[in-house]
Amino acid sequence: MTSNNLHVDALVVGGGIAGMQAALDLADQGYRVALVEKEASIGGKMIALSKVFPTLDCCSCITTPKMSAVAHHKNIQLLTYCKVQSINKNGSGFKADVVKKPRYVDETLCTGCRQCEYACPIDLPAAFDLNLGAHRAVRVPFSTAVPQYAVLDIQNCILCGKCETICPVDAIDFTQSPQEFEIEAETIVLASGYELTPTDAKKEYGGGQLPNVVNALVMERLLAPTGPYGHVLRPGDGKEPESIAYVQCAGSRDQSLGVEYCSRVCCMYAIKQAMLLSGALPLADITIYYMDIRTFGKGYEQFYQNAQAMGIEFVKGKVARITEDEDHNPIVRVELIDEGSPVVERTHDLVVLSVGMLPGYNPQTIFGVPVADDGFVTLPSPNISPCVTGQPGIFVTGTAAGPMDIVDSIVLAGSAASEAAAYLQAHRQPELVGDLRVTANEKKERVHA
Amino acid sequence: MSKEDAKKRTAILKRLREEHKDTVAGAQALLKEQKAIRRQICQAMRDAPKTVPEVAETTGLPANQVLWHITAMKKYDLAVETGMCGEYYLYQLVEEEKK
Ligand SMILES: Cc1cc2nc3c(=O)[nH]c(=O)nc-3n(C[C@H](O)[C@H](O)[C@H](O)COP(=O)(O)OP(=O)(O)OC[C@H]3O[C@@H](n4cnc5c(N)ncnc54)[C@H](O)[C@@H]3O)c2cc1C
Repeated sequence: MTSNNLHVDALVVGGGIAGMQAALDLADQGYRVALVEKEASIGGKMIALSKVFPTLDCCSCITTPKMSAVAHHKNIQLLTYCKVQSINKNGSGFKADVVKKPRYVDETLCTGCRQCEYACPIDLPAAFDLNLGAHRAVRVPFSTAVPQYAVLDIQNCILCGKCETICPVDAIDFTQSPQEFEIEAETIVLASGYELTPTDAKKEYGGGQLPNVVNALVMERLLAPTGPYGHVLRPGDGKEPESIAYVQCAGSRDQSLGVEYCSRVCCMYAIKQAMLLSGALPLADITIYYMDIRTFGKGYEQFYQNAQAMGIEFVKGKVARITEDEDHNPIVRVELIDEGSPVVERTHDLVVLSVGMLPGYNPQTIFGVPVADDGFVTLPSPNISPCVTGQPGIFVTGTAAGPMDIVDSIVLAGSAASEAAAYLQAHRQPELVGDLRVTANEKKERVHA
Repeated sequence: MSKEDAKKRTAILKRLREEHKDTVAGAQALLKEQKAIRRQICQAMRDAPKTVPEVAETTGLPANQVLWHITAMKKYDLAVETGMCGEYYLYQLVEEEKK
C-alpha cells in the first residue's frame, strides 16, 4: 500500500519493538492500524542486538517472528521507508500527510533474491553494521529485514544499470519518485525510539578517533552471529582481542554532556556483553570500569552476580581519559577507588564505551506533543498514565518516553495500546461504554488539567 | 526486453544521470578509489593467505581500511578465511582458492 489514502483506527509511528508490539496489541483487538517506519525495514535497534539480558535469548530469533507477525497481520498496514510530514486535526481524529521515499525497486515484484546487490559494483559503509562492514548501493537492508525488498541508494549510485539488467523479475524501477498520501486515524501512538550518545561526545575517551575504542552497539554487532566479521575482532586491525574493557557512564549521568540522567540499560548490556565475550573468547580478560552498577529489573541482580562469578573484573572508578600506544592499544587512565584511589594506566586491546540513550525524534513540531528538558516526550502524569502525552489522542510508548529496556518497552506498548483502545471506544460508542467512557475521559481531563 | 523498452530504459537512465550529476560524479570517484585500493589488496594476497596487518604492511594502507575492504570482499564471496596466524585470521582470495 503506497499511494492510496488510508483510513485506520490507529497510526503507530516507529517500527521498533515498542511500535510493533503496540500495533499488534491494537490489531489483535480488531482495530485497523497503520504502522509507519522511516527505515526500509522494521525491527528498530533490537534487531541489531546479539542476545538479550537477562535471559540471553538470541535477539534475532525473538524479534524476527514479531516483525513477520506485523507484516502479515490482516489489520496492520505496514508502511516502511515512510515519514509523517504533517498532522492536522480532522474532526475527532487526525489526518497525517505521509511521504514514501522511492526504493527504486517495485515492491510488488522484488523477491529479495539479492542478485542486484551482487551485481552492483560499489561498496558503501553498512549502517546496520555501524559501518564495520559494507553493503552495496542497491541491497536488501539486512538478512532478516522485513519486508525483504531491495532498496537502492540513489545518492551513492553510479546509475550503471547493472542491477536492472540482472534482476530476474524486472523489479528495478528508476522512474520512482517520492509518493505522498494521507492517513486518517483516530488516535496515534508514538514509538520513535532512541539514538545513542555520539561516540565522540566525550573527547577525552577518544571515541571516533582511536580505532580500537568502540561503542556498545558496535560490540553487539561483533557478537551477533550475523555480524560483519563473523567473530569478535577489533576494528583497528582485525586482531582477536585478549583484553577488553568497558567504560560505564560514557554518555549518561554526565553534566558536561548535558545528559544528566541514567540510561538504565548500560550496566545490564555491559554485563551481558561481558558474559557473551567470555563465551566467545574464553582466554580474554574482561574489565568493567564503573561508578555504580544499577541492576534494577527482575533477575538482573542475579545476572550481575553470575558475571562476577564468571571472573569478569568490576573496577570502581570513573575513567579520566583514554589514549593509545603505538600499536593502537587503548590506554585507560582511571582512579582505583576500592584500592585507596591510586591513579593508574591500564592497556587493553579494545575498549567499549557504554554510551547512553538520547531521544530518537522530536515530535513537538509535527505532532504537537510537548517534550521535556531531556528531549523525551513529556508525561503529564507519569505515575498513573505513563503513555498519555500532553496532546489528547496521542500516546507514547517505548524509549520515545524515556530510557528503558525491552521488557519495559513491551509492557508500555501494551499499556499504550490499551489507552489508545479506550480512547477509540470512548469516542465511538459513548452510550455503550457508559462508566468506562467516563473513566477514560475523566482520566484524560485530569491529566490535561 | 523489446527494442522500445530498451530505448525507454536508456532515456530514463540518461535523464537520471543528468538529474543526479553531482552524486553520480561523487559515487564514480569513490568507485575509482575503491578499485585502486582493491587492486593493491588483491596483489598483496595473490601468492598466499595473509592477515590484515600483513596486507597493511605490504600495501602501506591503514590496517582498519584493509579490514573494511576484506570484510566487504568476504561478504560478497571474493575472499574467504583460511584459519588463523596468532591472534589474526588469514584471508585468501576466492580465485586463488579455486585454482
Ligand atoms: C548496546 C545496547 C544493547 C542493548 N541490549 C539490551 C538487552 O540485552 N536487553 C534489553 O532489554 N534491552 C537492551 N537494550 C535496549 C533496547 O535496545 C531498547 O529497550 C529497545 O530497542 C527500545 O525499543 P523502541 O521500539 O522503543 O526503540 P527503537 O528500537 O529505537 O525503535 C524505534 C523505531 O522508530 C523509528 N523511527 C524513529 N523516528 C521515526 C519517525 N519520525 N517516523 C517513523 N519511524 C521513526 C526508528 O527507525 C526505529 O525503527 C540495549 C540497548 C543498547 C544500546
